[in-house]
Amino acid sequence: MKKNKRVLNGAIAGMALSVALSASAQAGSLTIASPQDPGSWDPIDTFLVNWASVATNIFDGLTYRGPDLELVPGLATEWEELDDGTRIRFTLREGVTFHNGEPFNAEAVKFTFDRLLGEEGGQGPQRSNYTAIESVEVIDDYTVDFHLNEPDPVLLTKLAGYGAMIVPPEYLTEYGDEHFNTHPVGTGPFKVVEYNPREDVQLEAFADHWGGAPKLDEVTYRFISEPSTAVAELQAGRVDIVIPPTIPIGMIDTINNHDGASIVSVASPTVEAIRFNTQSGITADERVRKAMIMAVDRQAIIDSILAGEGEMIASFQGAQSFGNDPDMEPLPYDPQQARELLDEAGVEQGATVQIDVRGNDATFGEVAQVVASYLQGVGITASIQPYETNVLLNDIIPAGRTGEMFQQKWGGWTFDFDNTAYLMYHTGERWNPYDSDAELDEMLEAQRSITDQEERETLLQAIAQYTQDRALEMPLYSINALYGVSDRVENFEPAPDNRMRLTNVDVSE
Amino acid sequence: MTAAIKTDKLKRFKNLEFILGVLLVGGIGLAVIFSGWLFPGGGSELNLAYRLTPPLVEPGFPLGTDPLGRDVLARVIIGGEISLKVGVYSALGAVVIGIIMGLVSGYYGGFLDMIVMRFADVQLALPFILLAITFIAVIGGGLTNMIILLIISQWVQYARLVRGSVLSLRDREFILAAKAIGVKDIRILFQHLLPNLIGPVIVLMTLNVANNILLESSLTFLGLGVDPVIPSWGGMLAEGRTYLQTAWWVSVFPGLAILLTVLGLNLLGDWLRDALDPTGRTSL
Repeated sequence: MKKNKRVLNGAIAGMALSVALSASAQAGSLTIASPQDPGSWDPIDTFLVNWASVATNIFDGLTYRGPDLELVPGLATEWEELDDGTRIRFTLREGVTFHNGEPFNAEAVKFTFDRLLGEEGGQGPQRSNYTAIESVEVIDDYTVDFHLNEPDPVLLTKLAGYGAMIVPPEYLTEYGDEHFNTHPVGTGPFKVVEYNPREDVQLEAFADHWGGAPKLDEVTYRFISEPSTAVAELQAGRVDIVIPPTIPIGMIDTINNHDGASIVSVASPTVEAIRFNTQSGITADERVRKAMIMAVDRQAIIDSILAGEGEMIASFQGAQSFGNDPDMEPLPYDPQQARELLDEAGVEQGATVQIDVRGNDATFGEVAQVVASYLQGVGITASIQPYETNVLLNDIIPAGRTGEMFQQKWGGWTFDFDNTAYLMYHTGERWNPYDSDAELDEMLEAQRSITDQEERETLLQAIAQYTQDRALEMPLYSINALYGVSDRVENFEPAPDNRMRLTNVDVSE
Repeated sequence: MTAAIKTDKLKRFKNLEFILGVLLVGGIGLAVIFSGWLFPGGGSELNLAYRLTPPLVEPGFPLGTDPLGRDVLARVIIGGEISLKVGVYSALGAVVIGIIMGLVSGYYGGFLDMIVMRFADVQLALPFILLAITFIAVIGGGLTNMIILLIISQWVQYARLVRGSVLSLRDREFILAAKAIGVKDIRILFQHLLPNLIGPVIVLMTLNVANNILLESSLTFLGLGVDPVIPSWGGMLAEGRTYLQTAWWVSVFPGLAILLTVLGLNLLGDWLRDALDPTGRTSL
């Protein structure tokens, strides 16, 4: 017994020594290449997926959704829907502290949502996702009631990310919003040590995290927007993980051919479509829109250009999306019928259309050219107009200044068709500059107030079918999220929505 | 003695420069002119089954195929059309405007000169890429717009060059004599002044054509240039970039085409400078 203990002691000492040794060799430090610096880390300021890929490690929400997409308790241990879904009572986790030592309690929750729904939140893009919340009431230190204007079937999911991340009231009151943008403090498994805008952000493990201490000591996110640079850094071993959306399909082989790194791909909510100007030009005619969809062999595009890293979609949502009907078929590839439809609509051979695309999207640049070539096959000449991404998203599409067709890439992180469909098809929405359909508006509004999930799913599927019947867009594919991962990374689980928590990730030497 | 040998060597080198320049520019020019006849398909036929075929593997694709299975050789040659068009038209346009502005400004001087030259200063202070991005965001991309953009950004060089020469020429005896016998201004400008200063302008133009081909390629590379459906060297470079490590031929051949064209033009320009101005009187 005594002998055993000594052996054990020796083993522990040996372990301690090896830990000390590896710590000096910078064990437990991981470097990630992210394509975009969100500029501000304040949860109410952003809608960027690359904000979330970092901030998921800094902040916690009341609920938590990991790579398996199951909604589990986060800072709230349990919740209960009351008053026909217009009140939700949350029981909060006890003994949680923010990185600065401030305690997490009901006041912090109230402060977070008062802020989000108040003046500060009004300046950012996040508030609109949470307008179903009327107020947050503190019942006691660890119980809060959310009073809702109307039931919001997706609210619990929305509480797991973005604007609903819980922020520290005392810290914010003392230092102000401006300071918080660059020096964020949350309850998450990592705390921010240093942030160099446009360069990197360095995180350090927060050992007191309620979910257990992370295995890594440090994580650095370097902002590298150029795919070739990020991949070269991965090959050189200066970066351990390249996160999406960085790696173009064309570089998959480059990484897989390299010893020491490989591609990890996972089905993601990101879908791509070419949407139509339904108001003017030849695409105002439903028959023309259908003909254009049928003229394009979407499966061939997925097989060749996407190297199989995608799946055909029938409506503007992926297979995991709530509201996707697995039995709904995409319009078939049928150039013969496409030609007939075009004749019927009186479209002359050589009619021209313009496709607006994001100029920096290498993969879609190829896809658009293939689409143009298929359209040529039925007698439509398509030109491609690349725009700077921000110009296209902030200027051209919302203002209705696109050509007949335009690229739309969409990553609905809630995995619920409501978010996508409402913003794409409801009259007057930002992403719907051309169409106005009373029947569709009515369906979109109706599904929001249905609490019965089965009934709501049926209605969402009907909406998807309706958009296909009217051919509001050419749904192309859902595309996998591609991670370039160095072999020294262990326990890496790719997150479909790019919101990956690094608690369990480790590195070997 | 040694000086004579040196000149002899230099002359031989100059001849070589000329021959190489003519061969490169002439060869590429001819290939581009007859590209429609050589490749009736326009280099835009997709063969997804043959995508990324390496060079010298399939007989139909001597330089391989790009990610969409298009013939790289056909696209390089047809893509030259865009590059040469942009290079030549924009340089010509800039020369015409620059000469007129420079002549008027240098000859008449005064207020007009001040306006033109201040305008030129402002123009020179604007970084090209900034000007290009703004211009294309407002007006839109495409071939014609790109040519206009290059003219706008480059006429100034010619205007300044011409103005400088006019200033040194306008008080010379032959101009004063022409004035004294009552020759009209327009005739003095175009018949007496212009032929005496055209040498350096032509040299500058040759070099500018080369420069504009590079600028066109960069703009298209950045996605600000011509429609990606139309083959162009810059566009091909951009498309091939992601495949650089797995399929080098997609971007290496258009890159080579740019290199050889620009090299050829520079050699010709260099030779032309010495031919037009053997003693190096006027410096560029």
